[in-house]
Amino acid sequence: MTNVFFSWLSTRLLLGAFLTTVAASCDLLEFSPNDTHAPASERDLTQKNLAALARQPVPTRGDTLRFVFTSDSQRYYDDVPPLVASINQQRGLAMVLVGGDISDFGLAREMRWVNDEFRKLKVPYLTVVGNHDLAQNGREAYQKIFGPLNYTFTYAGTRFILVNTNGREYEFNGHVPDVPWLQQQLADTADVRRQVVMAHVPPDDGDFDAAVTPAYTRALEQAPRLVVHLTGHNDKFYVRQPVPGRVTYISGYSIEQRNYLLLTLWGRHQYKLETISY
Amino acid sequence: MAPRFRTRSSWLAGLLLPAVAVAQPSLPDRHLNQPGPFFLTVQFAGGIGVVAVGGGYWLANRRVEPELLVGRVPRSLGGRGMTMFTLRTTYTPFAPQLGRGNWHMSPLSVGAQATYTTGKQFFLTNRSAGRYPKGYYWWSPKVRLGAFAGLRLTYQPDYDPRGWRPGRTTLYANLSTNDLHLVSHLTNRSLRLPEILTLGLGAKAGW
Repeated sequence: MTNVFFSWLSTRLLLGAFLTTVAASCDLLEFSPNDTHAPASERDLTQKNLAALARQPVPTRGDTLRFVFTSDSQRYYDDVPPLVASINQQRGLAMVLVGGDISDFGLAREMRWVNDEFRKLKVPYLTVVGNHDLAQNGREAYQKIFGPLNYTFTYAGTRFILVNTNGREYEFNGHVPDVPWLQQQLADTADVRRQVVMAHVPPDDGDFDAAVTPAYTRALEQAPRLVVHLTGHNDKFYVRQPVPGRVTYISGYSIEQRNYLLLTLWGRHQYKLETISY
Repeated sequence: MAPRFRTRSSWLAGLLLPAVAVAQPSLPDRHLNQPGPFFLTVQFAGGIGVVAVGGGYWLANRRVEPELLVGRVPRSLGGRGMTMFTLRTTYTPFAPQLGRGNWHMSPLSVGAQATYTTGKQFFLTNRSAGRYPKGYYWWSPKVRLGAFAGLRLTYQPDYDPRGWRPGRTTLYANLSTNDLHLVSHLTNRSLRLPEILTLGLGAKAGW
């Protein structure tokens, strides 16, 4: 009887050790650096973060909404843990927006390394695709691990529109960014008090499809509820208003610059911008 | 936009190089004569395809193994279908016999490889892609350089190796990495070595 018990126990232990090894070696599984393989827990992160956001009550009072804007984590893995630690100290924070270039070489493994840190955030994080994320099979990797390249969501009466503006990666084919889609999203104002657009490449950049720039900026100018237009890509912080009183273009810090932006929105157009160092 | 390089001393190169110098113990004499110099290889994963097949030719008393492999990644796992050609050389300094039997165990093999991936999205250089300014992307997506280390178990039967049956069969496991993963590791202290490694399992049959 004892023997039977021990043999049962050792079988269980051996099986347990075997399964643990198999699970650990899943991270070692790579068919090509450019493959899009990812375990189920690291897929559809946009959808998962949006579901978490929908469950989360607005942490600030009245019509106030506070969120972080950071960008370009590409191969700055050492700078992500301090960023996450700093963001986790912020109070009244609803979410974190990441302005693209999550990866450097467009590899699925890079996107998963970044998520390994970002998943430690206390609030959901949402991303927009950057040009490096589209390199080689990056588009497929991004779509599998994060989700759609163009998408919107509404939270606290604010509609966020995230749009792929990496025209150069599409050989400036005249369809990226997708202006008709953007116009449609900006026009859909049911239950929307204000709007925020986030993209990776700013419209005045050489990597933006110049043939689309006029239609794109016009679409933004014709959206009276638009509070700010956020971009990454340049590793340079600035706030510009080319036409006074119209669209406010904000370019954010890259993660490597050890700064991020804390945005607080209230009312219809009011916003406060703070630079936080870490 | 263009990440700068931070250097850090790594022990990885230090690990691989001295191993080459430990090449003293020789293979048992009876294995020097048989079987012949050709072998076929099949490998699962390891960054060169879901399955890669190929073959090569033994040199230096079967211590040096140059080979060419063709691997395939289907669309479901690769995002887009990829065919990969890998040229690699494995160096196995010693293969001690296990007891008096037909089995040999090599605790360490090391090697280097270059992989060429087909597909329009894999341009050879930033310039040949034709849509980027100079220096926009510095790496070549088409060509990956890699290094690996592993262990192997070889079975060499007593029978006459002539005919279709292989004269020796080897099972091996490799841990490898490539230049891009290595750059990520070398420029980030927080990215540990196990995070950039890839496991490959394979078999070789020699005639």
